[in-house]
Amino acid sequence: MKFFHLVWKNVFRKKTRAFLTMGSIILVMVLIVVLVSLLDALAGEAAMGTLGASRIVVQHATGLSNFLPLAYRQKIEQIPAVLGVAPEIWFGGTYIDQRPEHFFGQLSTDPEIWPLINADVAIDPQQLRAWQSERDSFIAGQQLIDRYHWKLGERIHIQGSYILMDLDLVLRGVYKGRDESNIFFNTKYLENSWAGRSSQTGIFFLRVRTADDVPRVTEAINQMFENSDAPVKAMPEKEFNLQFLEMMGNVKLLVRSIAIVVLFTIVLIVANTMAMSARERVGEIAVIRALGFRSGQVLRLVLSEALVLSLLGGLAGVVVAFPFAAFLVEVMKRSPVAPFAYNFRVAPLTVLTAMAISVVIGTLSGFVPAIRSSRISIVNGLRQVV
Amino acid sequence: MNQAQIQIDRVSKVYRRDAIEIPVLREITLLVPPGVFRALLGPSGSGKTTLLNLMAGIDKPTSGRILVGDREVSAMGESELARWRAEHVGFIFQLYNLIPVLTAFENVELPLLLTRLSRKERREHVKTALSVVGLADRIDHYPRQLSGGQEQRVAIARAIVADPAILVADEPTGDLDARSADEILDLMRRLSSEYQKTIVMVTHDPRAAATAQRMVHLDKGVLTPATPHEMMDLRGVRS
Repeated sequence: MKFFHLVWKNVFRKKTRAFLTMGSIILVMVLIVVLVSLLDALAGEAAMGTLGASRIVVQHATGLSNFLPLAYRQKIEQIPAVLGVAPEIWFGGTYIDQRPEHFFGQLSTDPEIWPLINADVAIDPQQLRAWQSERDSFIAGQQLIDRYHWKLGERIHIQGSYILMDLDLVLRGVYKGRDESNIFFNTKYLENSWAGRSSQTGIFFLRVRTADDVPRVTEAINQMFENSDAPVKAMPEKEFNLQFLEMMGNVKLLVRSIAIVVLFTIVLIVANTMAMSARERVGEIAVIRALGFRSGQVLRLVLSEALVLSLLGGLAGVVVAFPFAAFLVEVMKRSPVAPFAYNFRVAPLTVLTAMAISVVIGTLSGFVPAIRSSRISIVNGLRQVV
Repeated sequence: MNQAQIQIDRVSKVYRRDAIEIPVLREITLLVPPGVFRALLGPSGSGKTTLLNLMAGIDKPTSGRILVGDREVSAMGESELARWRAEHVGFIFQLYNLIPVLTAFENVELPLLLTRLSRKERREHVKTALSVVGLADRIDHYPRQLSGGQEQRVAIARAIVADPAILVADEPTGDLDARSADEILDLMRRLSSEYQKTIVMVTHDPRAAATAQRMVHLDKGVLTPATPHEMMDLRGVRS
């Protein structure tokens, strides 16, 4: 501890260099914290809670672009442990214009079953009843309300593109809690207006009694329609959500690869800083060796400098990561990956991981300069003193 | 070991550069009695600094023995030598060699970090050392805020703070003006006479050498008597 003051003074010997190096560590730490949290969100069930684990999505076996017969609903409802089944269609229309900032989910559903399946979101009972009683009404997530400042009773127009009909809907309710970037409207609105497809749906969204029932029920649904004209693929909600990210490729591998490359780069940057710092001090190190510091003590001093620098950077990085992550979540909530935004949180384990990584950065980057410094010849080193 | 005798017994030092051997010291035998202030004179390349380094335990002889007090310094391992230097040797360099990011206090405290002294005890020792060199009022100054003479006095305070028996000084006045050099030499004389330190000082400067009680001359790695010219210079300085 009595050497800490010496270590501290040496870390900030060249302030600009120290702060620039710390800045690069901070950036890396923010990136690591965000990437690890993102991986957690992708794999995570935390925000989906126990209810999320008991939801199943049924889609056409060949993909989402094919529709399923609505008649499947009654058959699925017969399977033991199924609490409710709601048909849903992704409308995919255009609100205002086609710019990405105006993108949000427009889903048809059964308003009577929807609250049972989505019991983990909050909606005013009166608003729910109003939505259930009016065929041309819709409910919207709080995020969309905040974005468009819609008022209850306000009418919106959505131009169909994927499904060739327009929606003209009145807002009757606002829900909060999970994936607030969607609107839900009554499937019957489509049944009456969408010529030729009134007996079809995009997916079935259902809830089973417990998470333990999920494997058995998915298996039963898959088998039930195996030899039909429209075979299905039933899967847990989490797996369904991950499909969209997997469309972009192996996201986890990509994220991990980026993290490893970034870490390797920062180790090189900090190692370079430490090597420069140690090289500039050959004479000073020779002096303290002459005064009686043993080579092991010199090694520990230089290594401690690297550790202090990277720990300070790591600590600051973690602190900065929190507001950055909050900002990212807000951005994600307004994007197609919104469902994951609700899983996104910086866990204590992630913070500990980041700090452990900063220790690794410090150790790896300081090791070679520390070894070299500890082996400096006192006589040769003293000759370099200016 | 408050006082120490330095005994150099047939010490040779040869540096090797690739396949070439460069003899620097040849069969040197020398005795520095305890509490004596001795100057080492000689031209550049004569081996003065090498001999000083050997006495201080920061280099090892190729052959021969060096005893300081009852310890054979030339037989010690690296770690043992480091501990021995921390306890028994104080260094004074030509260019002061203070750590620029540390204050005068912190520079002087450095050798004490290797001891078991408490923070309070270290503080008292440092203050005493800085008082001895007359810089008690410069305790929080950084080296860049001090003159050359003051920097060298801080370096002397660092050399004496752990109360070593031996002080080795390599051209301690080589980078100073005449007035500052005199102050430093006076200080070293006091350390020898009042505190009975055994001091070995390498110097080119006859005025500096005249401060010492005794003088040794090195030429091409061999001890020789002082030249008549040097003796005349010394007489002139002393008178």
